[in-house]
Amino acid sequence: MNLKNILARENRVIFISICVVLMASMIIVIGQSIVQSERQAITTPMSAASLPLLPEESGVFRLADQALFYLESAKEQGTRTLSIYYQRRAFNGAPPVIPHEVADEASFGGNTCLQCHENGGFVPKFNTYAPLTPHPELLSCRQCHVPIHTQNLFKPTTWRTVAPPTINRSAMAGSPPQIPHGLQMRENCLACHGGPGSVKEIRTPHPDRTNCRQCHGMAESNEVWVRPLVSENK
Amino acid sequence: MNRRDMLKHMVAVAAMSTASALFPGIVFPNSQFENFISEESLTWKKSPCRFCGTGCGLLIGLSKGRAVAVKGDPASPVNRGLCCVKGYHSVMALYAKDRLTKPLIRKNGQLVETTMQEALDLVAQKMKETIDKNGKDSVAIYGSGQWAVPDGYVASKFMKGGIGSNNLECNARLCMASAVTGFMTTFGVDEPMGCYEDIDHADVYIMWGNNMAEMHPVLFSRMLDNQMRRGAKIIDFATRTTRTSMASDKSILFKPQTDLAVANAIAYELIRNGWLNESFIKRHTTFKKGKTNIGYGLEDKFAFTDEPKEASFEEYKKFLEDYKPEIVEKVSGVPAKDIRFLAALYGDPNKKVTSFWCMGMNQHTRGTWIQNLVYNIHLLTGKISTPGNSPFSLTGQPSACGTAREVGCFTHRLPHGEVTSEHDRQHAADIWKIPVEKIPAKPTYHTVEMFRALDRGEIRFMWIQVTNPMVTMPKLKRYRDATKKEDRFIVVSDVYPTPTTDIADVILPSAMWIEREGMFGNSERRTQHFEQMVDPPGECISDAWAMIEVARRLGYKDLFPWDKSNHVQEIWKEYSLFHQGLDHQMATYEALKSNPGVMWPCPDGKETKWRFHSKYDPAAKGGSWDFYGKPNGKAWIWIRPYEPAAEIPDDEYPFWLNTGRVLEHWHSGSMTRRIPVLHQAVPESYAEINPDDAKELGVRHGDKIRLTSRRGTIIIKASINERGVPPQGMVFVPFFDESLLINELTLDAFCPISRQPDYKKCAIKVEKA
Repeated sequence: MNLKNILARENRVIFISICVVLMASMIIVIGQSIVQSERQAITTPMSAASLPLLPEESGVFRLADQALFYLESAKEQGTRTLSIYYQRRAFNGAPPVIPHEVADEASFGGNTCLQCHENGGFVPKFNTYAPLTPHPELLSCRQCHVPIHTQNLFKPTTWRTVAPPTINRSAMAGSPPQIPHGLQMRENCLACHGGPGSVKEIRTPHPDRTNCRQCHGMAESNEVWVRPLVSENK
Repeated sequence: MNRRDMLKHMVAVAAMSTASALFPGIVFPNSQFENFISEESLTWKKSPCRFCGTGCGLLIGLSKGRAVAVKGDPASPVNRGLCCVKGYHSVMALYAKDRLTKPLIRKNGQLVETTMQEALDLVAQKMKETIDKNGKDSVAIYGSGQWAVPDGYVASKFMKGGIGSNNLECNARLCMASAVTGFMTTFGVDEPMGCYEDIDHADVYIMWGNNMAEMHPVLFSRMLDNQMRRGAKIIDFATRTTRTSMASDKSILFKPQTDLAVANAIAYELIRNGWLNESFIKRHTTFKKGKTNIGYGLEDKFAFTDEPKEASFEEYKKFLEDYKPEIVEKVSGVPAKDIRFLAALYGDPNKKVTSFWCMGMNQHTRGTWIQNLVYNIHLLTGKISTPGNSPFSLTGQPSACGTAREVGCFTHRLPHGEVTSEHDRQHAADIWKIPVEKIPAKPTYHTVEMFRALDRGEIRFMWIQVTNPMVTMPKLKRYRDATKKEDRFIVVSDVYPTPTTDIADVILPSAMWIEREGMFGNSERRTQHFEQMVDPPGECISDAWAMIEVARRLGYKDLFPWDKSNHVQEIWKEYSLFHQGLDHQMATYEALKSNPGVMWPCPDGKETKWRFHSKYDPAAKGGSWDFYGKPNGKAWIWIRPYEPAAEIPDDEYPFWLNTGRVLEHWHSGSMTRRIPVLHQAVPESYAEINPDDAKELGVRHGDKIRLTSRRGTIIIKASINERGVPPQGMVFVPFFDESLLINELTLDAFCPISRQPDYKKCAIKVEKA
């Protein structure tokens, strides 16, 4: 037995042991993958991310970072008035129609509508400031907002709704006015009340105070509270 | 003025005078204390939306007996406070000026006003005369997936338990019959196993010919939200480019009808790559094959019965050899790599996949087959009945599930089970307290055949309710002419004049939606109750009550003993008896009134989100899946081949005609067109045409073009590069416009198993007009 053979034998041992190690690891790897493939696709629900529940408070501070800009740009006045605001809506709280031509019928929010309506700004084409959407996270704008292609009606209607709230709703001179509308889809105050794209008559003079509801409470009811008489308590 | 108002007024006046004293010059608008109605002081009541099958929860603002506003119901798990433009403006559909408020009777060709009592007398008398003269199968009721549950239930009891005829059909046959036969053939019980919550769990959504961005916009927004927040992927698999394509991560176009081939190719790839859930397949599925070359139902009295035969996995594998992606690419136009991409999504064990479809797969001459084939994919991978893993068939009408399918308003159905089953007939007879012989065991006419029977004269009296077949029937001219034939008597119950009321002999004005009490059932098995919120105008009554009145006149008082004040509650109680048991238990009337909808089965008041898995469904046995609708709890994997469409473009008629909806209009437009915002947005129908085809024809956007098929012709404005873009060789036309009746052109070919017509495929030619 010469050295060469011994080396060869040792090599063989090394070779075999490497093979053994490789096979073992192969068995482990393949075994694991077989076990994995046998497993059902994950069935336990992961904590599902859910659509925003539109809680009243969620959007209050959304445009807070724009507040100082709004304060700065208070001199630039948009042309939107309250009467235009209501003209665009079938009832107070309805999604407004699109009063201008739309560039692309098929495209989605981020590519078209939100270019102007997410952050606002002056639009030379219409010579005014773009109103802001209070809910830029909803991308399918055309789900609710439609352009008007004719002023005609298919058939006349008898539809009527309640009058929108009036302005100057301070209880006393100088006191903060109440919020006269529901907050669902409209919880982001600054979208309509701050900045040059907002509605003239309801524009806040202090967009930098972003905690709006610190001072402005909801008008949940138009009833004046009256202490019930004892006889009514029975 | 009562004491409370007086006090309020005094407080207000006192406040104002104090303020004026303190701040001279202050102005109080009158309205501040008196006229202004705070939005929050409206009365808000819950109702499901009147329109599509999504079933959004609405809150309807009421003031002085009128509906004046709508907002989304944040408590509804369906839409969580968000609606679409139709939902927000839905209540305006109650108030168009031409609302039908008085019954009309045709005298010497003219419709003249009459009283409800007289009109109902006439309907009953005509019905009786027709039965006496031509037999009970000469009268028919044709209803709707827009019927509230009580309407459908009364219709079923009246026809099957009273008159003793199976001549009851509804427009849901044109809408989701293939979905039903798909469920029945694969799982043995109807309606989706999953729910909308699948959207929040799935990693991938695959849309099979489904433009959800326009047709189910609220659900689509939920997908977009998941796409944005979690990176879920939307894959659009369609025959034309739509808004859904624009928002999707990938859009794949296929040639009409070849979805069959692509679905099989996906299955081929799953098997070739071993992307199977083998233990699931072994334990929960079995293989079947049916008849092939099954026809298209174009001829009268066409009959077909499928015969399921046992098959094996080996046989299935061998069958799929014909569906290698490279072969299917040639038929479908879908590149082999895209087929492999789809297969890889379904085959990835770590991805949860939800498939969505609606009319693309339902209105299909192989509608049942394509449903089977998509279920195959979910069964091969075991991606079913667990959160996020869902083959999900959507519906188009608010109560297609709740009324048409669950109450069973079809010729072959009963409120539970089928008329062909002795057991189911006995069950119905016991609840209705009638002799079982009263219910005929043989189905009569499905919808298309029912109108053909009207044409042939076998049916002489038809009562059409809440639907507009003179806009929506395919091959319209034949069926419109049928209604005008001598000695045919047509009664139409509706809320507005339509092309269908135009051919009526009696028009009964209906109370719609929130003008009466009722329930709708949406796509996810959710039953939703709505109370009467406003008074119906004029003499309008609900369709349920109109049928009860007529049934009583025909002597079926015992079947309908209920009082008008509580008949909906009584009907719900009786109807619930049909669905006793773990697999279909309905919610109680009280639960429906207090919840924003309840999903069945809900034994012990607990709703079931996912069916067929013991973890979620109390009716499922064993530790995992149990497809209890089929023997041994095994779902059927079907061997179904690709077969071509009934009419294929040729040299003379070189274009495909595809029809459908737009976001703003719903069904035949009789309600949405009367909503100012919606009409002003889409005032008329149009024909989408590919820009290259338009160039060749010398047509520009807005130009008029003439579309002609072998059956009819219309002139319509071309729409180029607008909302949707069909591929070359296809034209798409929305069907809502009663002045541009696209169904004059469509073909009445149907799926031989479901008998649902295919509105998506026929051959036309296009000329510049």
